[in-house]
Amino acid sequence: MSGGGRGGPPRATPIGQGIVRLGIVLLAAFGILAAGAGYWQVARSADLVGRPDDPLLIAAARDVVRGQIRDRDGHVLATSKKDANGEPYRVYPSKAVAPLIGYASRQFGTAGLERAYDAELSGIRGPDPVDELMAKFTTDRYRPQDLKLSLSLDLQKEAVRLLGSDRGSVVMLDPRSGEVLAMASTPTYDAGAIADPATAAAAFAATAADPAKPFLDRAVQGRYVPGSVFKIVTAIAGLGSGAIGTGTRFVRQPPAEKTGLLVSGFRIKDGHHDFTGARPLAFPEAVEVSCNIYFALTGLQTGGDALSSWAAKLGFGAPIPFDVPTATSQVTNGGGSFGGGFADDVELANASYGQGETLATPLQMALVAAAVADGGTLMKPHVVTQLSGRDGATNIAPETWRQVVSPEVAGQIRDAMVLAVEGDSGKLFTPGAAVPGVVTAGKSGTAQLDGSAKPHSWFIGFAPANDPQVAIAVLVESGGSGAAKASPIAGKLMADYLDSVAK
Amino acid sequence: MSVATALPGRLTFGPIRPRSRRRELGLLVLVAVALVVGSVSLGATRALAEGSASFAPWDPARLVVYLAALGMAHVAQVLAGRRTDQVLLPAVGLLGGLGLLLMERLPQDLAGSAFGDSLGLAGVQLVWLVIAITVIAVLSIVVRSDTWLRRYKYTWATAGIGLLLLTFVLGEEANGALLTIRLGPFSGQPTELLKVILVVFLAGYLSEFRPLLISESTRLGPLRLPPLPYLLPMIVMWALAFGIVVIQRDLGAALLFFAVFLALVYVATSRVSYVVIGLILLVLGGIAAYHLFDHVRVRVDIWLDPFADPSGDGYQVVQALIAFARGGLLGTGLGGGLPLVGGRLPIPAIHTDFPLAALGEELGLIGIMAILGVYLVIIERGLRIAAAAADDFRALLAAGLALVVGVQAFIIAAGNLKLIPLTGITLPFISYGGSSLLANAVVVGLLLALSDRGVEPPPPPSRSRGRFDRLLRRSTS
Amino acid sequence: MDPTIATIWVVRVLFLALLYVFLFGVARVLLRDLRSAAREPVTALGRLRVVASEVDEPSSGTVFPLDAVATLGRDVNNTIVVDDPFASTEHAVLSFRGRAWYLEDLGSTNGTFLNGSPVDGLAAVAFGDELQVGRVRFRLERVGG
Repeated sequence: MSGGGRGGPPRATPIGQGIVRLGIVLLAAFGILAAGAGYWQVARSADLVGRPDDPLLIAAARDVVRGQIRDRDGHVLATSKKDANGEPYRVYPSKAVAPLIGYASRQFGTAGLERAYDAELSGIRGPDPVDELMAKFTTDRYRPQDLKLSLSLDLQKEAVRLLGSDRGSVVMLDPRSGEVLAMASTPTYDAGAIADPATAAAAFAATAADPAKPFLDRAVQGRYVPGSVFKIVTAIAGLGSGAIGTGTRFVRQPPAEKTGLLVSGFRIKDGHHDFTGARPLAFPEAVEVSCNIYFALTGLQTGGDALSSWAAKLGFGAPIPFDVPTATSQVTNGGGSFGGGFADDVELANASYGQGETLATPLQMALVAAAVADGGTLMKPHVVTQLSGRDGATNIAPETWRQVVSPEVAGQIRDAMVLAVEGDSGKLFTPGAAVPGVVTAGKSGTAQLDGSAKPHSWFIGFAPANDPQVAIAVLVESGGSGAAKASPIAGKLMADYLDSVAK
Repeated sequence: MSVATALPGRLTFGPIRPRSRRRELGLLVLVAVALVVGSVSLGATRALAEGSASFAPWDPARLVVYLAALGMAHVAQVLAGRRTDQVLLPAVGLLGGLGLLLMERLPQDLAGSAFGDSLGLAGVQLVWLVIAITVIAVLSIVVRSDTWLRRYKYTWATAGIGLLLLTFVLGEEANGALLTIRLGPFSGQPTELLKVILVVFLAGYLSEFRPLLISESTRLGPLRLPPLPYLLPMIVMWALAFGIVVIQRDLGAALLFFAVFLALVYVATSRVSYVVIGLILLVLGGIAAYHLFDHVRVRVDIWLDPFADPSGDGYQVVQALIAFARGGLLGTGLGGGLPLVGGRLPIPAIHTDFPLAALGEELGLIGIMAILGVYLVIIERGLRIAAAAADDFRALLAAGLALVVGVQAFIIAAGNLKLIPLTGITLPFISYGGSSLLANAVVVGLLLALSDRGVEPPPPPSRSRGRFDRLLRRSTS
Repeated sequence: MDPTIATIWVVRVLFLALLYVFLFGVARVLLRDLRSAAREPVTALGRLRVVASEVDEPSSGTVFPLDAVATLGRDVNNTIVVDDPFASTEHAVLSFRGRAWYLEDLGSTNGTFLNGSPVDGLAAVAFGDELQVGRVRFRLERVGG
């Protein structure tokens, strides 16, 4: 038609060239779309399906009878009942496990293991992908699976009983496998009332409003100043890196017991053990009497970089891989220029005996004890040991997470920890922690808090020392000294467990 | 001039001679077979969900009406005898059919109007699809000259702006955007039509001033620009449309207009500098919009991390991604996806903004690739028509029309897939909605008309003609 | 496996396969088009150059590539718009049939002229001939010649 227009000046480039380039650009753009679709539909498919906000799960919550959750002895921890309309709801026989198990409620969604294993419990995810593909078309598309835990309900109940009215947490693991034996957090709450449609609204509102925060699973989400139990981490870093040996003594230590250790103008005080006199302590004695100044000096000698990186091997600085989400434990707030993220030598010295900016979850400290107990090998912690449904069962085997230190170094620390529980001076710090008839290793902690708040009471340890079968971390919020609350709880629980195994 | 007597009488537009379109017919048959199989798949999945085994197609009546409309469009083209493209109609037919199947499997009360309640979602969509196919057929047959588009470009531009201003007066707010005009029982989204008008205007303007735009007289530092007076009206037109669209909060349309504008300027001038300037303006505008407008900031934040608030702001995007993920490679099958929670869909705007997510779930990655492939086919056809066009105006017009479809499909698909921030724009030919279907039908109708390679030279006069042909000639002369 | 479910699976996969069969069919058409496009050079049958014009559209020197049928007249729907009050709305048709060009007057008020003589009904046109519609004179030219 009317071509050439004004028949004007010659064309610089034919228009066709631009069109071809345009086509190439559009082709590339659609290639990116296809890649994007591939990313979400194939590469990310597994992690997105079964997310707690997957509508398939929410739909399933209404009509699927979820799988049961049982402890290591077969005790039912979570099961389902049907209401008057024939719609299922969850029943939780014991309140002791509530913070770990969580709840599955029609009105309030899911929490805890019920949330983490929502896809498996409600059965939208099957063990076999091909089978799963087929199941999408069947009317009976849900294949609920049961969970079996390594947890012992008896131990868990005893832990909750011993914590009593205090806020606190107990984590017990088998150091050889990483299996969690008890994971208590107090106060607990009534998950059954939240799952029961009749009482859900009131129970949820009351629990959420409780200033003691029962919904917080202190074992994995509570971050506490660790105090002296962190000295075991410093010991692993110092001995592991070779910065100190078991015979290392610091001549600055005895005089500093009286006047305090001056670090860049800041005075680190101790004063717990004037009775050790003017003789510099060696490593085992320093652990036994929990000498802050010895560990401050050890930390300074080890250096910030080494302390941070050895702590990271134990799990600090990143969420610990576990069945439920975990909070990140930290040695320091990070960002400092002193090395390893420390702001200066004062912070490093304080962190070395668990003060400063150091924060740890009870699970993290239980792993520290477990690493020492298992000869320096850290097993991946887990609580779910088996998934089973009508398509068969899948067992979750123990898995080595990291080799933290050599067995020799672990042995040296173990010996020192035995001294801290069984030694003449050590006993004073850890009354009640020793399991009768069994050589027990441990370390207590008294975490000083800002202001006049009562310190947190800590204990970590394991038994029997020569063949560890159980590792433990006990925390009692504002429970006073480590000796006062945490040590006896730990001793009783380890004894109970070893008794039950022996039977 | 002795030949004169041998010629038949008047030939106002030349005799209309039917011309078979075997390729189009073949492709349409494939489309029909695919859609019937799809309908059977949907029907069987639905029946199974209710506990029975049946392989009857889902709602065969609507499918028959739709296929009949496609067939009629084909017959009309055959009778018109123009040598137009034979791939566009089947490609559009397949996408429209997929959209129809999708609407049939969604809850029918999504239509949400008095008109829609009686017909249901699929019924309304079918009505618009039939109208759209009719528009395609009529435009491709009737439009023989582009002068009316070419000559009145400023009139078109004015009409477009008027249409937008009308939205301010009569506009209704939906999802935070002023998009819809309502006149009595009818409502429509003028930006859909505006995109066609914009392309017509740009093609007219750029083809007329192309030589001047290429010549360099203004220098701005290292940049060589055309004489400013020639660039000004275009910038004004664009800024006006852009500004109004931003005020209307229709980000998708703004992005579409901008991309089409830049691409057409590039095609017309082959100047990378224009594209670079345009992209810099886009980035600056985007940053400014992010800081100035809450609705832009919310969209961008959702895009950056929808999982930050999966049950609040990020809800739809997260649900769309989960839908894609559930689909996997092969999909859940038509009717097998989109679990209802308490009788509601997880994604409320699935029929307008997220049809790709729904198809992604039910047809899987394999299906998505095929759908993207069909869009590429439409783009390829459009650009080929542009490349073969007789002059600059037609070339730019065809390229612009192809771009409108391609870029719009890209913007919404990329939004669904979290490659760019989500914008409320429709997926051409698949999304529910009359405005969108009509506007895209105009695009395809014009492309078909532009693809006409002229009436074939008639055979020598001595050859005898068929009776049908004589009949037709008698009726038209 | 349940035969019903197996059949549904087959239908589903068949549907996906058919989408690709369609794309394959399109690809074949596209390839054929490319091949035939390569065979026939994309040129107009001829072109019409405006040699003299007393109006703005078409202006003198404008060149129109020609398809098989081109209509001339004042109406905007014509292939070649002659915006001249002396031209009729549908003035004339220039068509290529067989191997020759023909000019037909559509009953215009002021007539159509071929090389200065009025066209009565239909007249054959050769390359180089001059056509006049209203006050605009065109010359038919061979493309590339």
